[in-house]
Amino acid sequence: MLQILIQGLLLSGLYSLIAMGFMLIFSVGRVLNLAYGTYLMFGGYVYFYVSQMLGMPKLVGVAMAGVMGVLMGIAKFKLLVKPLKGDHVAVEISTLILAVVLQAGVVLIFGDSSKILLPIVPGVTYIAGASVTYNILSATIASYAILAILYLFVRKTHTGRAMMAVSMDPKGTAISGIDSDRINMITWGISGLLGAVAGVFFASYTQLSPHMWVAPLILSVAVVIVGGIGSIVGTLVVAHIIGFMEVIVVAWFAPELRGVFTMLLIITVLIIRPRGLFGREEL
Amino acid sequence: MTNALEIKNLVKRFGGLTATDDLSFDIEQGESIGLIGPNGAGKTTVFSLVMGEHRQTSGTITLYGEEISKLGTSSRIRHGVSRTYQVPRPFAEMSVVENIRVGLMPDSIWQMIAQGPNREREIELALSVGFDEADLQRTPAELSMGDLRKLEMARTMATGPKLMLLDEVFAGLTVAEIAQIAELIQQMRKDGMTFLIVSHDLKALEPLIDRTIAINYGRMIADGSFEDVIANEAVRSSYLGTA
Amino acid sequence: MGLRWYHFALWAAFIAFMALLPELVSKGTLRTIIFANFLAVFAISWDVLSGRTGYISFGHPFLIGIGAYTSAILTKRYGFEIEVAIPIAVLMTMLGGLIVLLPALRIKGSYFALVTLAFMELMYQLVQVIRPDLTGGTRGMSGIPTLTRGALNGYYLSVTLMLCVAISMWLLMKTRVGTALSAIGMNEESVRGSGLSVTKLKMFAFLTAAAVAGLGGAFYVHYLGSVAPRALFDINFLFTIIVAALIGGSSTIIGPVIGAFFLTFLLEGLRPYLPGAERYFIYGGIALLLYMYQPKGLIEIFTQGWTRLRSRWTT
Repeated sequence: MLQILIQGLLLSGLYSLIAMGFMLIFSVGRVLNLAYGTYLMFGGYVYFYVSQMLGMPKLVGVAMAGVMGVLMGIAKFKLLVKPLKGDHVAVEISTLILAVVLQAGVVLIFGDSSKILLPIVPGVTYIAGASVTYNILSATIASYAILAILYLFVRKTHTGRAMMAVSMDPKGTAISGIDSDRINMITWGISGLLGAVAGVFFASYTQLSPHMWVAPLILSVAVVIVGGIGSIVGTLVVAHIIGFMEVIVVAWFAPELRGVFTMLLIITVLIIRPRGLFGREEL
Repeated sequence: MTNALEIKNLVKRFGGLTATDDLSFDIEQGESIGLIGPNGAGKTTVFSLVMGEHRQTSGTITLYGEEISKLGTSSRIRHGVSRTYQVPRPFAEMSVVENIRVGLMPDSIWQMIAQGPNREREIELALSVGFDEADLQRTPAELSMGDLRKLEMARTMATGPKLMLLDEVFAGLTVAEIAQIAELIQQMRKDGMTFLIVSHDLKALEPLIDRTIAINYGRMIADGSFEDVIANEAVRSSYLGTA
Repeated sequence: MGLRWYHFALWAAFIAFMALLPELVSKGTLRTIIFANFLAVFAISWDVLSGRTGYISFGHPFLIGIGAYTSAILTKRYGFEIEVAIPIAVLMTMLGGLIVLLPALRIKGSYFALVTLAFMELMYQLVQVIRPDLTGGTRGMSGIPTLTRGALNGYYLSVTLMLCVAISMWLLMKTRVGTALSAIGMNEESVRGSGLSVTKLKMFAFLTAAAVAGLGGAFYVHYLGSVAPRALFDINFLFTIIVAALIGGSSTIIGPVIGAFFLTFLLEGLRPYLPGAERYFIYGGIALLLYMYQPKGLIEIFTQGWTRLRSRWTT
C-alpha cells in the first residue's frame, strides 16, 4: 500500500508537470499545440548534448534545456500562431506537421537509436522497503517545486493574473487594456519551459528517442479531456488520478493495461461530464 | 382562437443573474409585437429561450397550442418559429442563393440527397427581400450590412415560419435600407405573418407593430399600444436608467 | 454547384489516363501509385468529415484500423471469403466508430480533435492486449489472404477502388447534403437556425467517412497481406492522411487525390538525393511551408494561377 502511494506520488509529480504546459496553452491561447511533446524531446536532447556530450555540469544542462524550451515556445508563437491568426484548426494542423519535422530533425542530428541518460542525481535510497533512486526522487521534488512557483506566479504577479484573465475572456481583456499578444507569447514561453524541463526528467525516467514526444502528448491530451480547461488545480488532481491509476493497474493487474484504463476514464468522463471534471461551463 | 405564441411564467437564471424574471405574454396569429427595453433588459434572452438556444429555468412556451419548451432548436423551427440575429451570421463561403438553399433544406438526409434544390424558390426568396439578379451569386464578403440583413431575412423565411422573431433588424443600416426592410415587413404582415420585433429604432419600429411590450431586468413593465407604453412612467425611467 | 458536362468529361479523361498509365511507367512506379491510391481513399474519407464540417479528426487511423483488423481476422482466423469479409469490415467500422465516437459528437472544436487523438491511442493499446491470439498482439498479423498478385493487378484494383470512392463521394457531395456539411464548417449555429439537426448531419458525415475508411482499410490489408499495430495507429500515418487532404485542397474530392499523389511522389522523388533521415525532414518541411503558404491547398494555387493567366490572356 505504502509502496503504491510512494510510486504514485513520484509518477504523478512528473505527469502534472508535463500536462501543465499543454493545458496552459489550450487554456490561454485556445489552441492545441500538437507539437507540445517535442519540447520534452528537445529538452531531453539538449540536456544530453550539454551535460553528456560536452561534459558540462548537469545543472547547466537542465538550464540550457529550459532556455531552449522558452525560445522554442516563443518561436512557435511568432512563426506559426501569429501568422495563422490563431485559427485553431490551422494551428492544430501546422503544429502536427511541425512535430513530425522536428522528429525527423532529431533523427538527423542524433540518429534513430535510443540514448540512455545518466541519472541526474546518482544513488538509491529505500523508502518503506521500496527502492527509489535519488534521480527520480529529486525529479519529483523539482516538479512539485516548479508547479508551486507557477501557481504563485499565476496568483500573485500582474502578468500571471493577466494570463488567467485572457484565458477566461479574451475579448473582455482586450477592452481592459491587456496586451493579449504579449500574454500569449509569455504563455508559450512558459509552456516551452515546463515542457523542456519535464523532458529532462521524463528522459531520465525512460530513455531518449526521437519518438519520445508522442507519449507525453497523449498523456497531456488525456489530462485535459478529463480535467477540462482553465484550472491549475484541476490539472494537478487529474494528473494524480491518472498517475495513481497507472501505478495501481501495473501493481494489481498487468502493465500492458495501464493505457486502457486511462482511455476508459476518458470515455466515462465524456459521457457523464463532457466539459471535464473541472472545466468551466461555456455560456 | 389559438394564439401564435404563449409565454407563461418564463424564468431564466444564469448563475446568480436573473435574465428573464416571471415573464408572461401572448401573441395572436397575424399580430406584430414590438419588444422594447434598455440595453441588457433581456430581450435577446427571450428570443433564445423561444428558439431553445438556451433552456428556461422554469415556465412554458407554447406555439400554436403545442408546448415547445422541451424541444430542440431545429424541431422548434419545424413547428413554425424562426429568428434573425443582431449580428447576421451567413455562410461565409457560399453565394446568396446557396445561403438560402440551406434554409430551404428539409431535415431529412435522404430527401437532401434524393431531391435537387428548388432553384426557382431560392431565387424567388432572394428577389422578394430586395436582391437584384446580379446579387444572386455574390458571397457575404461582397455584401453591405443591409444586404446581409436581407440575406438573413431570406434564409429565415426559407424555413417556412408562421412566427418570425427579428432581433435589431435596423441596426447598422442606411435610411434607404431601413425603408426597404420596413416595406418588406409590411408586405409580409399583409400576407399574414406574425412578428415579434426587437429594435432600438423606435421611430422605424412604430409603424410596423400592433402592440408593444416593454421589459427591464427580464420583467414585464408595460404591455399595450405604442403610445401608451412609451408614455408609461416605468418605461421612461428605465430608458433613463433610474429604475 | 450543379453537374455540368465538362465535369463528366474531366472524370472520363482522368479514368482513361489512369487506365493507360501502366503502359507508360515502370513496375516500381506502379507500386508507388498503388500506395498513392490507398492514401487518396483515406484522405477523401478524412475530408468528407473534417474538411467539410471543420471537426478535425485525429482518429482516422482508428477507423482504418477497425476495417483492416476485422477483415484480416475474419479471413485468416475464421476462414471467411474476402468478398464476405470486406462488407462486414465496413459495417464494423461504422458500428465501432458510432459507439465510441458518439460521445465525441457532443463536444466542439478542439475537444473533438483531442478525443479522436486519444481514441487512436486506445485502439493501439487495445489491439495489443485484448485477445492477442486473434490480433497477433504487438507483432501484428501476416499471411493474410490477398486479393491479387503482382504490381499490375494491384494497380488496377487500387485504381478502381480509388475512382469508385472518389466519384461516389463527389456525386454525394454535389447534392444538398454536401452543401449542408460545408455549411456546418462555416457556421454551425446558423445551420441549426435553418431548422436542420446538426447532430444528424454530423453523424451522417461521420458514418460516411467511417464507411470509406473501413473499405479502404480492408482493401489495404488484403493488398499488403499483413498488418502491424505500430504502422497503423501511428501519428506519422495520421500526419500523411491529413496533410494529403489539406495540401491537395480541402472540401473538394480531387484535392485529396492530388495531395495523396503529390506526397507519395515527393517522398519517392527525394529518395535518390536524400537517402537518409534528411528525406523526412525535407518532406515534412515542404508540407509545412506549403500549408502555411496556402491552407486551401494546391487546388487553390492552381486556380489562382489559372485565373491570373486567363486575365493576362484577355487583356
